[in-house]
Amino acid sequence: MRAVADWFFRHPVLGAGFFILILPFITPYTALAVMILVYGLYALGFNIMYGHVGLLSFGHSALLGGGAYACGIALVHLGLPWGACILAGTLAGTLIAFVMGALAVRTRGIYFAMVTLALSQVAYFGFYQAEPWTGGENGLRGVNLRTLGIPGLSLDFTTPAVRYTVIGLLVWGAVALLARILASPFGAAMLAVRENEARAKACGFDVRLVRLQAMTLSGAFCGLAGALLALHLSIVPIETLHYTTSGVAVMMAILGGSNTFFGPFVGAAVFLFLESVVSTRTEHWPLVVGVVFVLFILLARQGIWGTLVARLR
Amino acid sequence: MQRRHILLGTAGLLAAPAILRAQGAGTIKVGFPVPLTGAYGAEAQDQVRAAEVAIREFNESGGLGGRMAELLVRDDRLNPGEAATRTLELVESDKVNFVVGGLSAAVQLAINNVTKQRGVIFNSISQSDAINERSDWSRTTFHEALNPHMTAGAVGRYAFSRLGKRVAFLTADYAYGHEMVRGFQRAGRAFGIETVADIRHPIGATDFSAFLPRLQALRPDVLFLCNFGRDLQIAVRQTTDFGLKRNTKLVAPLLLYTSRLAGGSAPFQGVIGGTSYYWKLEDSVPSAKRFNDRFRAQHGGRVPSDYGALGYGGVRTVLEAAKTAGTTETDKVVEAMRALRYDYYKGPQYYRGCDHQSVQSVLVVESKTTARDDVDVFDIVHTENPDEENLRSCSELGHG
Repeated sequence: MRAVADWFFRHPVLGAGFFILILPFITPYTALAVMILVYGLYALGFNIMYGHVGLLSFGHSALLGGGAYACGIALVHLGLPWGACILAGTLAGTLIAFVMGALAVRTRGIYFAMVTLALSQVAYFGFYQAEPWTGGENGLRGVNLRTLGIPGLSLDFTTPAVRYTVIGLLVWGAVALLARILASPFGAAMLAVRENEARAKACGFDVRLVRLQAMTLSGAFCGLAGALLALHLSIVPIETLHYTTSGVAVMMAILGGSNTFFGPFVGAAVFLFLESVVSTRTEHWPLVVGVVFVLFILLARQGIWGTLVARLR
Repeated sequence: MQRRHILLGTAGLLAAPAILRAQGAGTIKVGFPVPLTGAYGAEAQDQVRAAEVAIREFNESGGLGGRMAELLVRDDRLNPGEAATRTLELVESDKVNFVVGGLSAAVQLAINNVTKQRGVIFNSISQSDAINERSDWSRTTFHEALNPHMTAGAVGRYAFSRLGKRVAFLTADYAYGHEMVRGFQRAGRAFGIETVADIRHPIGATDFSAFLPRLQALRPDVLFLCNFGRDLQIAVRQTTDFGLKRNTKLVAPLLLYTSRLAGGSAPFQGVIGGTSYYWKLEDSVPSAKRFNDRFRAQHGGRVPSDYGALGYGGVRTVLEAAKTAGTTETDKVVEAMRALRYDYYKGPQYYRGCDHQSVQSVLVVESKTTARDDVDVFDIVHTENPDEENLRSCSELGHG
């Protein structure tokens, strides 16, 4: 058992691949499995700032939603091919994160949370008002990707298995890339800033620059998650940009374990699974999910994945 | 207790996929995504009750050549993303034959986008103007509910001809409010109305006192409250407390049975509004009497609400069409629905050819003073008969 666990933790990318492979077989329906993939990536992206740099952002909905709208608009209004739409979503997330970061990285703690929250509200109302492009209150409809043209191959994206495979591969690629980045010297710099800002500064790191870079990187991953969300649901609801969507990322990261690489992904899976299963049994589902959350905060600070890691190693 | 029954029933449905499969391809499955939790939970639960009436009625009459119907209820939590996910589940995993449901404009458009891509019939049972328009509509899209244009038009024509032509609007600043105002303005053109104030407030407002002195000074004949749910309840209570009713008649485009019950008798006294159905219609319409009696028998003597009745109408039309077509094949059922001339619970109705909007009557009701538990809360003061003239034209909506 210990050997298996050790292998798992030493090869997080293969571990994530294994997780993505078995996920559709342990969820009640494929659409939920795809939601877990997308929100898992979103939580991982969020955790770059929270877990690795130590800054709590309450504005990540702007990155997810911005990515989703950019991808949707590229498909609906500009008629771009699917690859370009995903790229547009990723770039939009990156750009919004860069702007938010440039304005917010000089602050810390509660101030950082407040500034990012305010900026994400600006994004929310901006997209809300731009009705000809975003559909406003009604949301953006018609993000209809039917056939997926890959050279030499034409796939029906409305087939659940195809949709899961394509999105699963993209998410896995992003997870692998993120693991590589976190293992790089830049990943170490982020941890240094988190652990001791003064010492990081003394070691010659430009703390603000590291934070801005991390925020921008976080935006790229959240933007990609948004783009995949838009293609999966074939709509972009305005709720994607709402601040509760930012709160969901915080809950997922803490529930899964923000000090581990893969924890937020596990948190997303447990959160969405609970929400889906409990909400069909009682209208008081937020109470159940809330109690689970509080229990983990009180009894297992490391989160689900963090506790497992600590126990098994 | 009723509420719990429904949820337990829903849970039971979900917990028993094995049973569903055992019944084989014979069962006709109707997916029913509605917001059981969230701000419109009361309306949604009544929609489920009414849909169950339609299902039982269909099964008791022998089904489609022995094939029984079954309702698969899902909670969309009033969130378009969740609604899309649940609809994907219904279509892909549960392989439903039809989808009926939705209880907000954004949610029904989300459901519609998913079903339209997959060629599944969707009958929407809540208000939206956008769903009739060419960009959202598809051959498999049907709209059993009223839309804001029809509702505001009927209420407006009643108000302008009887209550006065100096009007003011207090509007929630989002799609629903804007569509209602547009409907009133269009209807008002023929009457030469004078708009003395057009006030927009953010959705979810709790304090309207900033607008009220201005409205009182202007003394309009009619004040249109183009907001919904809790916003409407608070706006009605505050305008009443402020004494605005002395000179001005309050009119809400959509006055729901459930929000009147929640808002109470005194604040709503004398408020006029539109609705698709009120149970007292049974005094004059035989089909309403039939429907109410079935509903009472199945649900412990209670009467259906307006939105609830739409759940009945929405489910019954697809099932009757399947029966006429003799199959659940999408194309044939679409044809049968387009050909339906029906009177199931409120008088004659049919789906208009170009956009599948249900052409139907609109009721104008006035809230009356009642005792606390009395369910007879409205007087029907006017009925606008079904007429395509009252809909936006097909060409205006972008159809051919």
